[in-house]
Amino acid sequence: MLFAFLLAPIAVVAVTSFSTTGAVAVPPPGLSTRWYEALLASARWQRAALNSLIAAGGTTLLATVAGTAAALAVNGLDDRREAVVLGLTVLPLLVPGVVLGVSLLVFLGEFGLQQTYLAVVAAHSLWATPLAFSVVRASLSRFDPRLREAALDLGASRPRAFVEVVAPNVRSGLFAAALIAFVVSLQEFVMTLFVSGPDTRTVPVLAWNSLRGSVDPIVSVVSTLLVVTVVLVVAVGAVVAGLERFATDT
Amino acid sequence: MSGVDAAGSERRSLGLLSVDETTRTRLLLAPLLLFDLLVFVVPMGYLVRVSLTERSTGGALVRGTWSVEGYRFLLDSSVVVGVFGFTMAFAVGTTLLAVAVGSLYAYAAWRGSRLTRTVLLAGVVMSMFTTLVVKLFAALVVFSPEGVLNDVLLAGGLVGEPLSLVNNEVGLVLGQLYVVVPYVVLSVYSTLTALDDSLVEAAADLGATPVRAAREVVLPHALPGMAVGGVIAFAWSAGAFTAPILLGSLGERTVAVEVNNLLQQQFDYPPAAALAVVLTLVVLVVLAVGLYGLRRYGGADGV
Repeated sequence: MLFAFLLAPIAVVAVTSFSTTGAVAVPPPGLSTRWYEALLASARWQRAALNSLIAAGGTTLLATVAGTAAALAVNGLDDRREAVVLGLTVLPLLVPGVVLGVSLLVFLGEFGLQQTYLAVVAAHSLWATPLAFSVVRASLSRFDPRLREAALDLGASRPRAFVEVVAPNVRSGLFAAALIAFVVSLQEFVMTLFVSGPDTRTVPVLAWNSLRGSVDPIVSVVSTLLVVTVVLVVAVGAVVAGLERFATDT
Repeated sequence: MSGVDAAGSERRSLGLLSVDETTRTRLLLAPLLLFDLLVFVVPMGYLVRVSLTERSTGGALVRGTWSVEGYRFLLDSSVVVGVFGFTMAFAVGTTLLAVAVGSLYAYAAWRGSRLTRTVLLAGVVMSMFTTLVVKLFAALVVFSPEGVLNDVLLAGGLVGEPLSLVNNEVGLVLGQLYVVVPYVVLSVYSTLTALDDSLVEAAADLGATPVRAAREVVLPHALPGMAVGGVIAFAWSAGAFTAPILLGSLGERTVAVEVNNLLQQQFDYPPAAALAVVLTLVVLVVLAVGLYGLRRYGGADGV
């Protein structure tokens, strides 16, 4: 029952995306792929899809690198400092998106940086980094630090010890962190609404703009494709990292 | 692990290596700290500064001025005070509902067979990772007067006229539940995984009814997860923006909607910034109280 409550709307949207008419009706009067063709022909949507990929790529890189580095570092801190770093990292997740969006808009506006890819990536990383950080930290806590000590004692340099001993052992954690960062960026909407512009807006923002005008059947198509993308990404993540860990770590 | 660490750092502190280890820690932390400083701390500080500038009739910012007009405007405006009250009531109501619904769901997933569990969890993760716009658009398609649910109910003769489930409080709460329930489910589920489910069987063997076993054995274990989930649900509902616009009506404006309104439509920066600052403070205070209570209770930390 609850499961249906959670997922039925998405299924309904998927069905309507194949409708022959523009009106959202279930069951649809007939099936067609005309809205999919309309989407493929639309320059606006192509641009938005490209923007989403650029933003997600940038966010994945930034969040995974910063998150992993910090996760490696916190073990070397005393408890008090560790708590401070943890608090600072997690805090942005708990501040309302509108507030973050407004603060970035006003602040970056001072430097003329609003509406740039940089602004979008920075905003997305604000939420992706803490998640990447905690995923990597969780997988590092399962790693036996004596293995690294042993590598160092045997004469490996620190970077080499990381690449050859630490990284392979936490590979699934790194991978999961990158996937989560990617998905967070792909689906983020509120902050993007504030910091992106016509040239940098992502798919969710364009979907929002289209919805504000009128019911646009292309939004059903885009929604379906976004959901399919996320399902694929989550499926890959689940296979690599194990669904249960995936669910509990995030 | 801490024993090994202690031994390791003791050994290193004998030589020059201890300096290197500290440097390493600092270098590794640098990207994250720099990032949070530039993109979070400084912009938030700037927002506070903007909230303390003078209001102007021409809109936008009067740089370099100091004034509490923005905050005074908030107190004087009955609209804003009303919006704040409504937002808090909405956030509390949604949080309670989300915790109830999410905990039930998590419990079902935890008690279910391996297949049920996988399906239920996959559903939650999928819902969590679906963008807000899509989720709420989908909810609109289902719950609107011409929507699927009403079509089914009318066709089945269950209701005489379409139920109005959107553009009112009901729609707002329904929509926001779609946003926060997955987080509650996952946080409750992750505390439940630490509980051995043979305990429930033991309780049943000792004559407890399923409800009683759930209440007396599972509930105490799930409480920290429910609290973390509740805290997240509250923080996000208090800052709700998308659901109110898409599924609520003009009567259900939240603080976040009002911030946007002041900023983007009226270009009245100081009150907009002031309202954002107050909202953030309220959310953080509630979170701090929640987490403090959790720690005293001896629950889990982190998100």
